[in-house]
Formats: sequence, structure tokens, C-alpha cells
Amino acid sequence: MARSWRDPSEATLARVLLAPAFLLLALIVVYPVGRLLVTSVYELSLISGQPAKFVGLENFALMMDDPVFWAALWNTALIVLVTVPGALLAGLALAMVANMPFKVKWPVRLALLIPWALPLAFVGTIAAWFFQSEYGVVNDVLRHFRPVKIIWFNSATLSMATVCLTIIWKSSSFVALILLAGLQTIPAEMYEAAEMDGAGRFRQFWSVTLPLLRPSIVVAAIFRTITALQTFDIPATMTRGGPGNATTTLAMYIHQTTVDFLDLGYGSALAVSMFVISMVVSFFYLKHIRSVA
Amino acid sequence: MIKRMGLAAAMAIVWSQAAIADSNLTVFVSSQHRPDIMRRAFDRFEATNPGTKITIQTGGNTSELQGAYLNTVMSAKDPTLDIFLLDIIRPAQFAAANWTVPLNDQVGDVPTMMRKYLPAYAEADQVDGKLVALPAFADAMFLYYRKDLLEKYKLAVPKTWAELSVAAKTIQEGEKNPDLQGVSFQAAAIEGTVCTFLLPYWSMGKSLVTDGKLNWDRDTALKSFALWTGMVGSGVAPRNAAEIATETTRKDFQAGKVAFGVLWSYGWGLFQGADSAVKDKVGVAVLPAMEGGQPVSCIGGWQWGVSAYSTHKDDAIKLVRFMSSPDTSKQLAVEASLMPVFPDLYQDPDVLKAVPWFANALPVVTAAKSRPVTARYNEVSDIIRTQTNAVLAGSVTAAEAATQMEARLRRVLR
Repeated sequence: MARSWRDPSEATLARVLLAPAFLLLALIVVYPVGRLLVTSVYELSLISGQPAKFVGLENFALMMDDPVFWAALWNTALIVLVTVPGALLAGLALAMVANMPFKVKWPVRLALLIPWALPLAFVGTIAAWFFQSEYGVVNDVLRHFRPVKIIWFNSATLSMATVCLTIIWKSSSFVALILLAGLQTIPAEMYEAAEMDGAGRFRQFWSVTLPLLRPSIVVAAIFRTITALQTFDIPATMTRGGPGNATTTLAMYIHQTTVDFLDLGYGSALAVSMFVISMVVSFFYLKHIRSVA
Repeated sequence: MIKRMGLAAAMAIVWSQAAIADSNLTVFVSSQHRPDIMRRAFDRFEATNPGTKITIQTGGNTSELQGAYLNTVMSAKDPTLDIFLLDIIRPAQFAAANWTVPLNDQVGDVPTMMRKYLPAYAEADQVDGKLVALPAFADAMFLYYRKDLLEKYKLAVPKTWAELSVAAKTIQEGEKNPDLQGVSFQAAAIEGTVCTFLLPYWSMGKSLVTDGKLNWDRDTALKSFALWTGMVGSGVAPRNAAEIATETTRKDFQAGKVAFGVLWSYGWGLFQGADSAVKDKVGVAVLPAMEGGQPVSCIGGWQWGVSAYSTHKDDAIKLVRFMSSPDTSKQLAVEASLMPVFPDLYQDPDVLKAVPWFANALPVVTAAKSRPVTARYNEVSDIIRTQTNAVLAGSVTAAEAATQMEARLRRVLR
């Protein structure tokens, strides 16, 4: 009862149709990640002049003992903890403003899009000049209020603060776009009903807007967390990770180890650690989404 | 009509040359290294080698950016570049990675050939018996000072850093200009900051790395930090020292905002330019010494290497030999005030006419010290510059930085 190739079984058809997508995924995800895992257990440096050598978990042991790794990990965690809630709050505020019944909507929407559309490295470079102590516009404005010159990039805390502020500015518009879409799905009748029941504006926001916006907030939070874990461009162009290693992120350290130091083995081990962290965070969020649904 | 025919004939010649050009060489020169002047040298080479056409590729105007770019191109085994300029800190890495064509068999007797160059470059370009690259132009750090201000306050050119601090303070107090910096040096997390840390360290008679092994002296390191933080503390150097990169020093000095500048030789040509506020007011001297120590400088300078992945190696080698010749070295000195790699050229009348202070520069370049020579230099550099930057920013104490620096250097230089 051989079926002709013109009329394959459903299962065969499914396999055939899925094959290209699977191949593509294998090529751009499975292979590189697999290769990364393999390299992470080798000592492989392009400048050692030696061929790759299997060293087991030695790279990971080195990592545990590397102060820069821990500093970078802590900085990355700090950026996630500050900029994710920060961007959500700022994004929510922006979305609420954009959702107001303006007569002409496009200027507001455009203003929301611009920070999102700017390349990250661009934003970092601009911010570096904004906060530059001699010629920066921030100090220029502050000078009108108090005569002290703040050297932002001289302090670990202030550098981190300016980096976080810049990331929040850059990413809140993306959050706002997602939340704005969510806001527009909330039917106007809900607010009318709430008003009938005597709810004030704050109560409406708390009991109608926020609960109904929750799925959008979760989606925005996931995207923001994943990108915050990968933070690279803004601190790389703004502070180059300084002063010292005060704003070096894990992604920057991976880049430095592989591209500048050409230590592919150790760099891969660092990248594996980042991969694991991203997976854990994604898993946590996915579970959360399922429980919401 | 005749003119037009001449033009047509010229075009025909150009066209026919292009048609027989069998070798297109791509050269990587950073925008900082006067591609305009390099172009003239390449034109001369093309004129005598009609088969070759040279294209310049420029990029990244700091040593780190150039290094990062070359790392990506070379680790991808990309054949795009045929020859490139290498900072003096890189030949060891390029040798270990086998990224350049060894020139041993191309230059005749290597010792005879290399003896003609300044010893520092002959040494840097030969790694484990391999001739990795050929010297392009020399460099070292110098003390630039404002002749007019020193005369005004009847001050001598300082011989020690302590004297420099006093002189700078005198000038700052006399000028009553809050924007005038006494001294400008680099403490941003850039390559030049490695020299900032090492200058006082070396001046106290210590070396950081000997035979590839760390030769750490904590006390000397702390004194090195103390010298620079002391200058910031006393207001002689600006409070934002940790933001200052090489170009910051150059621009501030050129704008007349600095009394003493610690800078590479390229500053001179720009300070004498038409748009310079300090034209004819600049003196150049040997860098000061630590109290009781020796004056030292940090050696810089660039080398021409032939890419191991070049598809025109023979022509590329020919070009590199031409670019590293006395004639080209002289041309670069006269036209771009790039320091010659041949000792004799420091007495050459044409060179001295263009850059008079080169007459006194030879001893400085000859005595200048090399940053640690190791294939893992990028890591060594990162450790030194980030810790120095952090100390000058005040985000860590000198003691903490010294501990971190030692621990991390030990990991790399084990």
C-alpha cells in the first residue's frame, strides 16, 4: 500500500515541511551552541601557538577564581535589577501618556519610536558626551544650580547610575510600545462601568488598567530582562566598563576575552555561564506565563 | 587640441597601467597615521612598480581599536589585507599566532639588515628567531612644555616630577586661570595609560616583566600610583584625570590649556599647525625622573607586517621593504614629523629643518623602555590600564589596585 510521493502520509508531510525550519535552526542555533559547549572544555587560545587541548572543567574552575568574572556578573545583575523595573515604570508612564485622547496621535507615537530606533552604540556615545565632566550638557545645566563639577565617570556608583539611566531611557520606549498595544485592547466600557461604580482615576488604574495589562507587562518584562542580561553596547561605548571594572558587564567580558585576548576556551566558558543564566531566567518566566494563562 | 591629445595619451597610459596591474595590494593604516602622507609613499612605489596598485584601508584611531580590528580580520583568516601597521606591543602576539609572513628569507642576512635600525625596533620585530615585521616609524613619550610660560616665570625645564609639580603650581597660581591645567597625562582606560603607570615604575630602576615572568615590586607600584594621585590631589593635574585619553591631552595642550603635557611625538606637528593656540610656544624635553631615579620614556612606534593570508605575498613583501627603507623613513619624518627608525636620520639636515627637536630626540628613543613583551600583552595591558584608571578615578584605593594588579598579572604571566 505504498503511497505515491504526490500523496504522502500526514506524518511524512509534516516532517518534510518542518525540515527546512529545523535545518535552519540547527545551523544557526544548535550548531553554534554545541560548538560553544565543546570549546568551553578546551584550552584554546589563538596566541598560544598550541593546538586545542582538552582540559575538562578547568576553564570553569578558573572562572570561579576570577575577580573580573564576579565583578562583571554582579554588574550585569545590577543592571537587570535596576533597568528592568525602571524601564517598565517609565514605559508604563509613557504608554499612558501616548494613550491619552490626543487629536493628532502621530507626533506622540513618533516621539516614542525615536529612542527605540536609535542604534545602541549611538546612544552610548551620545550619553558619554552628555555626562562628560568638562564639556557635557548635564554638568552645564547643573552648573546653573550649584557650582560643583560632578565627574560622573570618576565614581563607580555614579558611572553605574548613568549607565542604568541611559539604558532605561533607551529601552523604556520599547516597553511603552508593547504596553500601548496592551492598553488599546482594554475596552472603554470597563472604565465606564468602573466610573459608574464610583471608582476614581487612581482606583481605575489600579483595578482595571493594571490587571488587564498584566500579560503585556509580563511580555515586556521578559524581553527587557533577556536584553538586559546581554547588555553590551551602551556601557562599552559610554564607559568602556570603567572606572576600573565598575561597569563591565558579562557580555563585555566575554567579548574582551575572545576578541581582544583571543582566549576562545575561557571565553566560551564565560559564554556558557551566560547561556545558562539566560536559560534559567527564560524558564522561570515561561513557567510564570503558563501559570498566568 | 594638443592639450587634449596629451590628456588622451595620459589617460591611455593610466588605463594601460591599470590593465596590466596584476597585483592589488590593500594596506591597513589607521586614520591617526597620516594616510595622506602614506599615500605619497605608495604613489612612489606604484610609479616604480607598474604592476602593483595600492589601496589604503583606514580604521580605528586608537591602538586598541586597531588591535581589535586586526584580531577579527586575522582570526577569520581573511585575505583582504595584504600589509598592515602594527603597534610595537603587537609583534609578539602576531608571531605566536603566525599571522604575519616571516621575512627571514626575504631580507638577506637578518642581523646585518636589522643592525641598521634603532635597537628597540630590531628587537621588537624579531620574536624567537622570526623576523615578524619591519620598522615603519619610531615613537616615544616626551614632555611638552610651554616655553613662553616657563620664561615668564623664570622656570627651568623640570628634571624630576617633584620639580615639575612645583613649576606647574607656580604657573597656575601666577596665571590665575582656573582652566589652565598644570600637567596633563593619560589615565583613561586606554593603551597610553599603561605607560603612565610604568614611567615612574621604570624610573625607580625596576622592571615589571623579566624574561616573560612577573617582576612585581609592590612598593614601587604604590609610589607610581602616589605620584599621579598626588598631582591630582594638589590640583596640578585635573580632577577628571581618569577621563583623559591621548587625544584629550593633545587637544587641551593645543588649545593652550596645559602647561606640561606627557605625550607621544605626534603632538609636535599639530602644535605647530596654523590652528594651534601654542604655535612657536612649545618646547620638547625628556620626561622627568622620580626623585633619585633615572629619566625614562615609554617606547612606541609602528611596524609593517605582511599578512599570512595575503594572496600577493611577494609584492606585499616588496612593498614592506620599500616602506621600511631609509628613503621612506626620511620622507615620513619631513612630511609628517613621524620619527625615523634609522639613527642617522636624526642628524639629517632635511629632517632637522622640518623638525628641529629631533636633534635631541635620539638619546630619548634609544633609552626608552619597552612595555612587557609577551604574546598575551592585551591581557597585561588591560590589567594595568583598568587598575590605574580606577585608582585615578578614586573608585579603588592604590593598595587594593596593587593587590588586584599583582594577582591578575600572575595569572597571565604564569
